[in-house]
Amino acid sequence: MQSKPVLLKILDVLAIVLLGVSTYFALVIAPTELVMGNVQRVFYFHIGTAWTALIGFLFTAVLSVIYLVTKDLKWDRYQVAAIEVSLVFFLITIVLGSIWARPAWNTWWTWDPRLTTAAITELIYVAYFMLRQGIDDPDRRARFGSVYALLGGVSAPITFFAIRLFRTIHPVVISGGNSEAQGGFDMTSGMLTAMFVALIAFTVIFIDLYWNRIRLGNLEDKVEQLKLKVTM
Amino acid sequence: MAVKSTKIDRRQMTADRDISRQPSTVGGQSGSFFKAVSAVVWKDLQAEFRSRELFSAMLVFSLLIILIFNFALELDIKTRQSVTAGVLWATFAFAGTLGLNRSMAIEKDRGCLDGLLLAPVDRSAIYFGKVISNLAFMLIVEVIILPVYSVLYNVNLFQPGLLMVILLGSIGYAGVGTLLSAMSVQTRTRDILLPILLFPVIIPVLLSAVKASSGFLNGVEFSEISLPISLLIVYDVIFISLAFMFFEYIVEE
Amino acid sequence: MFLQDTPANTDGYMIAGYVISFIVMALYVASIYVRSRNLNRDLTLLEEMDKPVAPVETSQPKPKKTAKPVTKRSGKK
Repeated sequence: MQSKPVLLKILDVLAIVLLGVSTYFALVIAPTELVMGNVQRVFYFHIGTAWTALIGFLFTAVLSVIYLVTKDLKWDRYQVAAIEVSLVFFLITIVLGSIWARPAWNTWWTWDPRLTTAAITELIYVAYFMLRQGIDDPDRRARFGSVYALLGGVSAPITFFAIRLFRTIHPVVISGGNSEAQGGFDMTSGMLTAMFVALIAFTVIFIDLYWNRIRLGNLEDKVEQLKLKVTM
Repeated sequence: MAVKSTKIDRRQMTADRDISRQPSTVGGQSGSFFKAVSAVVWKDLQAEFRSRELFSAMLVFSLLIILIFNFALELDIKTRQSVTAGVLWATFAFAGTLGLNRSMAIEKDRGCLDGLLLAPVDRSAIYFGKVISNLAFMLIVEVIILPVYSVLYNVNLFQPGLLMVILLGSIGYAGVGTLLSAMSVQTRTRDILLPILLFPVIIPVLLSAVKASSGFLNGVEFSEISLPISLLIVYDVIFISLAFMFFEYIVEE
Repeated sequence: MFLQDTPANTDGYMIAGYVISFIVMALYVASIYVRSRNLNRDLTLLEEMDKPVAPVETSQPKPKKTAKPVTKRSGKK
């Protein structure tokens, strides 16, 4: 049983601290939005989780390629961890987006490009886990997982652009002067600061969770190997 | 029934043997590639022609779906215009999974897939062969559904633009679906898994196909329709290339 | 959008948003913790099973336990 490396312990603490700091910035330091009020404050966590989850998903596609080329199962473990953490973060993104939408656009959901693509992307990665669950052989599981993650990862951006081309309410947040779409808002410097704090905080939190999840995966692998050895 | 199935098995087995006998010389590689592809396609079409099990299932299922839509949606004359494209594509998507599932399941259960893999042909030849035969089944079913729907709802669906969209959309669907069905047939959950894997990934196809189909049916200006059609073509090219690259990773032992 | 004197009161939504975020993250951390604890348990169990079996009877029978010379002065009375 390996104990946590010191660096990870430090990262754990840092992640929690930054979460607190970001919350403080979002709830206290950032000014209140003029029209929609305090619900706008969920935007900071919404952006933080969205940004990290999307990078996580992108990273996943790269990991797929690396696994398929090297056939080393550790890349598969890295991929599972990345997808799982991104899935959780993206869920938060979607829920926060919906909570923001309700008072801002008077609806819990809209079928605009970003929300729709977000829902589809989430479903793709849930399907990824369902695919893996149905396969016992670790090598096949890794191969199929990688291929599907890659297909899904290519399809999701295409979906986004397709919907954007063919329909169009998501506020373009950092717009110059007027927010054309309803529910948009102009960012003051206080808000920008809070946003950057959130981005940094969630990046650290993501990396912390990711590293912890990888260790879990390594542990899983160790147990699997030992199980095979003992039952032989 | 038992007699019939052994007949098909023998036919499939002999067809596989023929494919195995393909020369894999360096010089004649492109020749043998096309021979392998057409052998796979021919085997599937022959087998299906004999039993018609896939085809009849897909057809009946499609008709039932149209029936259900009739009760689910108010397809009065006004709504029909806006909704026809969607109903058609939903029907094709669902009936399509049926065909894809059965097509791969037949390969696996009768050991034909293993037989094909033993043959010294490029894996991608098997992929293309399966795509073409799956596509053929889908197109045949679609070609029958179109007049049925036209008659039932008094809509003329035989417009060249619409037919082209149906072809492009079906190509994308069969291309991705064949790869994913090859995956899902090797899992424990098999049939149930294919729609779960396929539908999220195929959304761009459905989206563009419905948009373009609807455009053609409602006489929209071509400049507006060209965009979804271009997207369909782009998707088809990208995904068939990807699937073609990945197929060998899916079927290797 | 007409000018408002004060922003709309959407505090409830904000609180809901933050509560949900924290709960989801906490649940995920808990899930990692629980899974890793279970796996560590399995690991200890498996390592036990995997240990080489204790050496079986040796050629010499173990000397029967005779009364050991009392070396320690026991305080017992």
